[in-house]
Amino acid sequence: MEFLSRAQVVTALGATLLVLIVLDLVRRRRLSEDYSLLWVVSTVMVAVLGFSTPLLTSLTHALGILYEASTVFFFGLGFATAMLLFLSVKLSRLGQDHLTLTRELAFLRLELERLRIHPPAPSESGRGTPGRESA
Amino acid sequence: MATREVLVIVPALNEEESLATTLDEVRAVAPWVDLLVVDDGSRDGTAEVARVRGVPVLRHVVNLGVGAALQSGFRYALESGYAIGVQLDADGQHDPRDLEALVAPVREGRCDVAIGSRYVTPTGYRAPKARRLGMLLFSAVVRVALGQHIADTTSGFRAYGRRAMEAGRDDFPRDFPDAPLLIALGRRGFRFLEVPARMREREAGRSFYTLSKSLYYPYKNMLASLMAWLRPDGRRRS
Repeated sequence: MEFLSRAQVVTALGATLLVLIVLDLVRRRRLSEDYSLLWVVSTVMVAVLGFSTPLLTSLTHALGILYEASTVFFFGLGFATAMLLFLSVKLSRLGQDHLTLTRELAFLRLELERLRIHPPAPSESGRGTPGRESA
Repeated sequence: MATREVLVIVPALNEEESLATTLDEVRAVAPWVDLLVVDDGSRDGTAEVARVRGVPVLRHVVNLGVGAALQSGFRYALESGYAIGVQLDADGQHDPRDLEALVAPVREGRCDVAIGSRYVTPTGYRAPKARRLGMLLFSAVVRVALGQHIADTTSGFRAYGRRAMEAGRDDFPRDFPDAPLLIALGRRGFRFLEVPARMREREAGRSFYTLSKSLYYPYKNMLASLMAWLRPDGRRRS
């Protein structure tokens, strides 16, 4: 295997290490599978570029980039941007969920306060309140 | 089907000092309305001030924004069967003596949303320069989007009919509900009417619109206005 520069070796090994870290985080349930997808795809891609000099060289020429190292940066930056966008979308979604939950809690608390002040009369069928039933 | 008439929705954030006066004044001047305080994550005794007066409180455990507080108020009004929901600031800025004049056009079916406006007739109110600029800007934005002139697009003193509350309940930004809500409703054919209203200086506490938000506000409002204009069918944002 022929490497063009030491930087390429560092990139290849660094990306491989990152793949392993990501997979380990998933294994330990610290990172959910759906979040890991983009990480795995991007790091594997960078690792492949790092290890395969012919692929890196031909891709560099095809894209009209002057240096091979720039191609790796180009893809790395592309994935970082995609990841940030993906996270922003996820955050927006979470924000909406958080709003829904907070609002639901507000309505439930108000309902609870009302029930404390005006408890419902026992039903006519004589079953009493659920609390008494379970006691 | 509406079974009760008017609910005054008071969104409040850390307003324990002025809320008491506001609630007492509404009760004294307009005993025909019901009140609801939406405590938007206050860290002071805002909720307690309302509770001791027997005013129901919807308490957001964290701050969601004035738009979200208003949406919660709309939902409460709709579920409780109110025909009209009025948005009124907790800081004493809006004069409850104007409530009758604000509600009347909605009740009589002359409009779907009545906006308490500083500019229909001179009220002696002089907004700070930056705010005046913002009002002119958003007035222009609303005019372009709806072809209708609304002088006071930033007024937080408005009366909404039931259909307008249903349409607007989920579909405006959670932080600044001003121009985007008007555009969202206007695009769906709801009618507005500006009603003269007195605006007073804040009694205590801090405005929702702090200095740090003054740069973000125009950006967010412009973008949200554009989006409201692009989504006339009222699809949910999520």
